[in-house]
Amino acid sequence: MADLVQHPDEVRVISQRFGKGAAGIETYLALGGYQSLRKALGMKPDEIINEVKTSALRGRGGAGFPTGMKWSFVPKESAKPKYILVNGDESEPGTCKDRLILEHDPHAVIEGVLIAGLAVGARQGFIYVRGEYRYLVDILRKALDEARAKGFVGKKICGSDVDFEVYWHTGAGAYEVGEESALMESLEGKRGIPRIRPPFPAVVGLWGGPTVINNVETIAAIPHIIEMGGAKYASYGPPKNGGTRLFCLSGHVNKPGVYELPLGYPMKKLIYEVGGGIPGGKKLKAVVPGGSSTFLLTPDEADGINCDFDSFSARGEFLGSGGVVVLDEDTCMVNFALRIMKFYQHESCGWCIPCREGTDWLKKTLTRFHAGGGVDKDIDNILYLSQNMLGRTFCPLGDAAAIPTMSIVKKWRNEFEDHLHGKPCPYESRVWPEPALA
Amino acid sequence: MVENTQLVSLTVDGKKISAPAGTLLIDACKASGIEIPSFCYYPGLSLQAACRMCVVRIDKMPKLQTACTVPVAEGMVVTSESDEVRQARKATIEILLGNHPLDCPVCDAGGECELQDMTFTYGAAESRFMEAKAHKEEQQWSPVVFFDRPRCILCYRCVRVCGEVMDVWALGVQNRGVNSVIAPNMGDHLECEECGQCIDICPVGALTSGAYRYKTRPWEMNHVGTVCTHCGDGCKTTLGVRRADNGMEIVRGDNRDKSGINGDFLCIKGRYAFDFQQHPDRLKQPLVRKDGKLKPATWDEAFDTIAKRFNAIREQHGGAGFGVIGSTRTTNEENYLLQKFARSVLGTNNIDHHRTADYPAFAAALAGKPEMAASLRDFEKTPAILLIGNDPTHQHPMLATAIRNNVRLHGAKLFIVNHEGLKLRRQSKAYAHIPKDGYGKFIAFLGGDDAVASALANGHTNREQLMAMREMLRGEHQLVIVFGAEVRGKDLETLVKLGMSHTGVKFACLGDYANSRGAADMGLYPDLLPGFTPLADAGDFAAEYGASLPKSAGMDLEKMVDAAKAGKLPAMFVVGANPMARYNVQLGELKNCFLVVQDMFLTETAAMADVVLPAANAYEKSGTMTNTYGDLQIVRPAGDFAGAKPDLELIVRIADRMGVAPQSLVPFGRGTRADMGQSRGAQSGEADRHAIWMVAQGIEPKVSPFDPQALLDEIQRLVPGYGFSRLNLFAGNDVPTHTAGKGKGAHQDPELIWPANDTLFTSGTLGRYSNTLNSVVEAHEGKRYPTQVETD
Amino acid sequence: MSVLKDIGAIAKGMSITFGEMFQPTVVENYPDGPGPFKGAKFQERFRGLHVLQRDENGLEKCVACFLCAAACPSNCIYIEAAENTEEHRISGAERYAKVYNIDYNRCIFCGYCVEACPTDAITHGHGFELAAFNASNLVYRKEQLLMPTPAPQLQR
Repeated sequence: MADLVQHPDEVRVISQRFGKGAAGIETYLALGGYQSLRKALGMKPDEIINEVKTSALRGRGGAGFPTGMKWSFVPKESAKPKYILVNGDESEPGTCKDRLILEHDPHAVIEGVLIAGLAVGARQGFIYVRGEYRYLVDILRKALDEARAKGFVGKKICGSDVDFEVYWHTGAGAYEVGEESALMESLEGKRGIPRIRPPFPAVVGLWGGPTVINNVETIAAIPHIIEMGGAKYASYGPPKNGGTRLFCLSGHVNKPGVYELPLGYPMKKLIYEVGGGIPGGKKLKAVVPGGSSTFLLTPDEADGINCDFDSFSARGEFLGSGGVVVLDEDTCMVNFALRIMKFYQHESCGWCIPCREGTDWLKKTLTRFHAGGGVDKDIDNILYLSQNMLGRTFCPLGDAAAIPTMSIVKKWRNEFEDHLHGKPCPYESRVWPEPALA
Repeated sequence: MVENTQLVSLTVDGKKISAPAGTLLIDACKASGIEIPSFCYYPGLSLQAACRMCVVRIDKMPKLQTACTVPVAEGMVVTSESDEVRQARKATIEILLGNHPLDCPVCDAGGECELQDMTFTYGAAESRFMEAKAHKEEQQWSPVVFFDRPRCILCYRCVRVCGEVMDVWALGVQNRGVNSVIAPNMGDHLECEECGQCIDICPVGALTSGAYRYKTRPWEMNHVGTVCTHCGDGCKTTLGVRRADNGMEIVRGDNRDKSGINGDFLCIKGRYAFDFQQHPDRLKQPLVRKDGKLKPATWDEAFDTIAKRFNAIREQHGGAGFGVIGSTRTTNEENYLLQKFARSVLGTNNIDHHRTADYPAFAAALAGKPEMAASLRDFEKTPAILLIGNDPTHQHPMLATAIRNNVRLHGAKLFIVNHEGLKLRRQSKAYAHIPKDGYGKFIAFLGGDDAVASALANGHTNREQLMAMREMLRGEHQLVIVFGAEVRGKDLETLVKLGMSHTGVKFACLGDYANSRGAADMGLYPDLLPGFTPLADAGDFAAEYGASLPKSAGMDLEKMVDAAKAGKLPAMFVVGANPMARYNVQLGELKNCFLVVQDMFLTETAAMADVVLPAANAYEKSGTMTNTYGDLQIVRPAGDFAGAKPDLELIVRIADRMGVAPQSLVPFGRGTRADMGQSRGAQSGEADRHAIWMVAQGIEPKVSPFDPQALLDEIQRLVPGYGFSRLNLFAGNDVPTHTAGKGKGAHQDPELIWPANDTLFTSGTLGRYSNTLNSVVEAHEGKRYPTQVETD
Repeated sequence: MSVLKDIGAIAKGMSITFGEMFQPTVVENYPDGPGPFKGAKFQERFRGLHVLQRDENGLEKCVACFLCAAACPSNCIYIEAAENTEEHRISGAERYAKVYNIDYNRCIFCGYCVEACPTDAITHGHGFELAAFNASNLVYRKEQLLMPTPAPQLQR
């Protein structure tokens, strides 16, 4: 169980019930729970979708695809059943928001599933929880049982003529399953490897039926949007970047934790005000803006950027999943690159050649390099390999491994050169704490 | 592949091409002569997009796209060769070679390895990496399948071919990431159909064949395309042969060029069971019985002994003194010659063979409608198939594969009627599990006799299911009805008559051995001349043979054996058959019977013989064979075994010693001096090249009395239904024959049909001498693989 | 003067004679010289009778890849391959040459086989006395071509 943090700049929408015991249905109802569901039952599907479109809600998993548009791709008529699938396989290093939602507010997720189902015409929902989050399964199962007992899930929900089933499911622990098509394979009981697209899940998904796949945070925002109205939700953030999001601040900051801030919040303020600055007054060396698969920012870059999807995509980079990792001046960037690559090498599903073999070689080369066995051409080889993984792999995992590596080699090449010729690591042994990645 | 014939046009490398809508880009390019490399893409298997070799640049798309997953679209502009694309492919190979061992000199795939070819094409030979390669010991999964893990590039072709094509699902992937590994179903070994498809489809040398392993290199062999000598499907097989001390040894069987009716499919028998050819027990010289014992003799001695006794018996007893038994594995020419020899030289109609299907009844039922006989190719596309009896998975593996592929790729509807739970049941739309003796009743039921339905329902399939199946069947057109030996005589006639009510219906009758159909077509019957011609219509044959042929029907196989046991058959001539084992005749039971046997091995029958002549097998001679569907294919000599001679040569030589002019048997160039070895050559490979050259030049040699082509000429002239295209046949294609069309047939005693009931791992007498077939675990321990699917 | 001149001329002439007399001989004392080549001397690059090499463990280097046979323009190399087993190990790799014959009736000493060899197993030695009274004696077997086993042989 994680301790909760707070800061005056926070705008608490999704996290408004955190720490209030809303995992129990009585408390949840007392705090206004399942009111949105009742409201949604009285709305037409198109009205719900339009409300979500108005809210400018964008997918919180990392890619930032507009949620309302995603829903509208689902065909109205389908011979096969439609499904709602919640991606709770939160494995992106540095990201830890879904677990808080599922721990403190599981009913919001269930309610979100029900509303999404009403919007697209699905009558079954699945909440897929990461294999390592075993303790959350108990909370979620209890919440589902309670919701069923109260008539929010199951036959004739809320006294309407709608039958809706929601199931929980858990994986065996694989980062790859966070990719939506691999998630479906895993849920169907197969090996967690991605599928060929097209067809996209909105048309052919789980067991061949149209499927909406949303992140836990996205789904948890739905009841609030229905309750407060899309326009109000959108007003929290800059245009086209509706609402608030949970930022998971970790690394070398004084006050790490999950903060709910409006989109477009300046990165500098996030580190120095919300996060309370770097311990020991050390200087900033790098920022991971949204989980380990994003381009790393130098201190200069971090100074001038706002945390919203469009600010990042204007730079050809992306905001990611909200896992902000701060690195101080004592961090060895080679070791950091190695730590990231260890993770991706371990998590590669092995399906396609560039990712399977490429991550393994990068890990081996970086290991040797950091241990002092590097030679000149290794630096270019590391860059060459990661450039040739980028965009060549079956799913984004190869890109995720290539992007941080490329940006580290390009932006901190001098640190690689400092490791050459058998020199020991010139930086302090203080590195990014490993448990954060495990 | 794509039924939609609407064409879309696109531009690839500046070249305008067009392809049917829905075609994958990689296929469209290939069809237009633009090669796009790939490891994981394989036509007919599901898509993977795992190897990333087929990447191309498509205009208006952000990233490089995989050509194997993108269907062609109107106006698409594709760049398949550019610096960017080449660089991407080169990098993929470089990354792949990081762990792939560079042991090409010892690797079996060296010289025919797709990774090797691509490394040459894209020039990624120099490694950027310094780290040690991961090494794992080679594993033996079965006597015929070896797995060298470091060589594996994880293209998953083996996994897919095993699952999707073979429906065995014996291979899978274990672990993840760089530790991913192909794993067999039993943990450390395989239990499967041992077809070896995974080995052939492997683009590198990760899966290697136990039979071929480390024996030679691909360029050191001669490759001869011929027909498999085992079951009645007549798969084309390309045999790799190399020099051996005693001739030419066959070391490999495959059909990678996908020529022939079977595409790249071969079962365990076609792929590995050629090893009887070099079995140590093979007869190397003639044996003649002296003082009660078979002793080695010279050819002259053997032929003299036979000729002397045959002539004496002919004078004393006439034709009635002989019994002739032919083979289901010799060529059409040999079978034709044998019946010609029996009827015109020995003067007898006592001629028969091991019957495994009621072909005469089939021919009679189809008389006048030759187009209704199905070719094996008809099973590839037809929308509906009705299978009655037989177990194709075991007895006709290629048919089973064709049916599975048709169901998988074209959505064909399969209806099965059987007394057992077949593996093909998994593909079936409806399955009638009937009692063992219920086939006749089922046919009556199909004809509308509802009264028998209750007798058919036996706890597996109930009355309603039978009714539903009949209802579905009645709506089917373009139906192919295929049946095994369970359907004979009257039942067969009724079934064919019933089937004719469907438009576009075709029929196939399943016999068991490589040339069972050929033996039947060539008249190895006591009461039928070639082409199922009744004895009374012998006109053409009598005129050609220049002899008066015996008028009355002879003895069938059973009667001949009985007569020989009773001492009433003075002479028996057995060519490539083992009737004494089948009728359980013990040594010494034959009385006053001069028995001549031509065979490869000292079988039970040969052991009783007075003279045994060592014969060559179908892999060592040229000629033609007809598969059970009537598809005629050419047989070419691949192996060579010093000491053995083709049956054709043996028969001609016997006749020659008996004082018969060889010209009267084999219509070779009259007046030309014969070149007695022309059709064989010192090395079979040379003979084969010679034959191909002759064909290419349009020269038909016919200079030798041992020339099967001279006999083929006569067959084409005289045998009804054998008026096929020679051009197609000699180009190596299968051509349909239609004996059924003109065949009139005669009613045969159904009791004479003895299905072989071979499994995938047995092959009559031949199977006993194949070490590979006997080495796989599935052939032993009472296992019958695949385990039968229980009916529920 | 003329005498002196003559003596000088003779001395000059004889100095070459005597000078050369004490130079080391340039004529090779073949076939009475020492060593396996009986005094014959070769350039390093001379391509003579082939030698099949062994590795540092005494195992044969040849892995029977058939590349020499494939490269040979006169088709004089004949190989039969066999598989090594744990008990019976001949070469370092999975496969070894059970039979390795070179037909010196046909060999043209072009050296392509040596270039083709991926394991440096076949090399040109300096053996040159290849005449025989019988052509069949010119087919050299593996045993004749193989480098002698170093003593003591290291077995794995």
